[in-house]
Amino acid sequence: MNFDLIIIGSGAAGLAAAMYAGRYKMKTVILEKEFGGETATAGKIENYPGILSIDGYDLVLRMKEHALHYGAEMQEGKAVKLSRDSNLISVETSKGEKYLGKTLILALGAQRRYLGLEREKELTGKGVHYCWTCDGPLFGGKTVAMVGGGDSSVKGVNFLAEYASKIYLIARGKEVVAEPVNFEQMKGLGRKVEIITENEIKEFVGKDKLEKIILKNPYKGSSELKLDGLFVEIGFDPNTELPSQLGIKLDDKGYIEVDNKMRTNVEGVFAAGDATSHFGSFKQDITAAALGAVAATSAYEYSKSH
Amino acid sequence: MAKVIIYTTPSCVYCKSAKAFFAENNVAYEEKNVAEDLKARDEMVKKSGMMAVPVIDVAGTVVIGFDKQKLSELLGIKK
Repeated sequence: MNFDLIIIGSGAAGLAAAMYAGRYKMKTVILEKEFGGETATAGKIENYPGILSIDGYDLVLRMKEHALHYGAEMQEGKAVKLSRDSNLISVETSKGEKYLGKTLILALGAQRRYLGLEREKELTGKGVHYCWTCDGPLFGGKTVAMVGGGDSSVKGVNFLAEYASKIYLIARGKEVVAEPVNFEQMKGLGRKVEIITENEIKEFVGKDKLEKIILKNPYKGSSELKLDGLFVEIGFDPNTELPSQLGIKLDDKGYIEVDNKMRTNVEGVFAAGDATSHFGSFKQDITAAALGAVAATSAYEYSKSH
Repeated sequence: MAKVIIYTTPSCVYCKSAKAFFAENNVAYEEKNVAEDLKARDEMVKKSGMMAVPVIDVAGTVVIGFDKQKLSELLGIKK
């Protein structure tokens, strides 16, 4: 299957790129591993211009509709092998399908970080959770903790507050850094939320499900904290395996290096969204979509001249 | 066709994806919102051993999460 443009990733960056490419009349395919990227699980999005408030899943559905409207094609498939096939770039999926493209945009997003604690896997879904929009509503009237000191964790706390009776926010750093509007909303929850900074989880305790955690440093005189559930929101790491197969340069943290036009060091290959660190740690839907639009425009210019 | 029950919460994206998958493939299903229905929640925990959604019961076989491949096999959906 030959295309002008192959896009790997169906989050905000990939879908915005596909919409632009469609308008440029490029024959485009989006390969999706899991629909919607991080946006889909982000809960309410309230900072995308023109939309006061929308569920992340609904926002990416709209983006998909927009991309398909302009002719982009969407195919399920996890890209597992990238190579050059004369002048074309070849993408093979885990299903054994092969796509050939004049250009490629890597909108790979990033992979969720885990705490790396013993028993974390065993207790997943049994008190240790990663998707607060999914499992948060099951903790009505319960005591829960959110681990992480960034904006997503604060958004998670605000979401959980609709259900849980008590929420501990556990951050490794000295302070919690979040969008002021989200931080203020959390502060407005009063004593329902307790923020524990400069602390970490040492151990999970519980027989068939999580019952308590052991903290590295005592909190209010005790290292033990009884919990019904715990949500982990400690950030993401880039996917480095695929770009490495094409010899794409990564920065010291594993993000794809791009110039202002979203070009990688490999001809015809572009990157966008959370797989790059173009805006540093500022990773939003609006930045991902913007980077996708730039990458598609550059892919279009490249395909015209090659 | 096999009886399908999906246990969901309203904000769960994988539940939405699973329901979209059923709709695309004309699979009839019964949805139980375990954020509100406590009886259904107990039923789900008993079946899956987990406090996590979605849980999908296809004629007695329990699938945890939205595992498209497994669901396709169980429901005889060919792509």
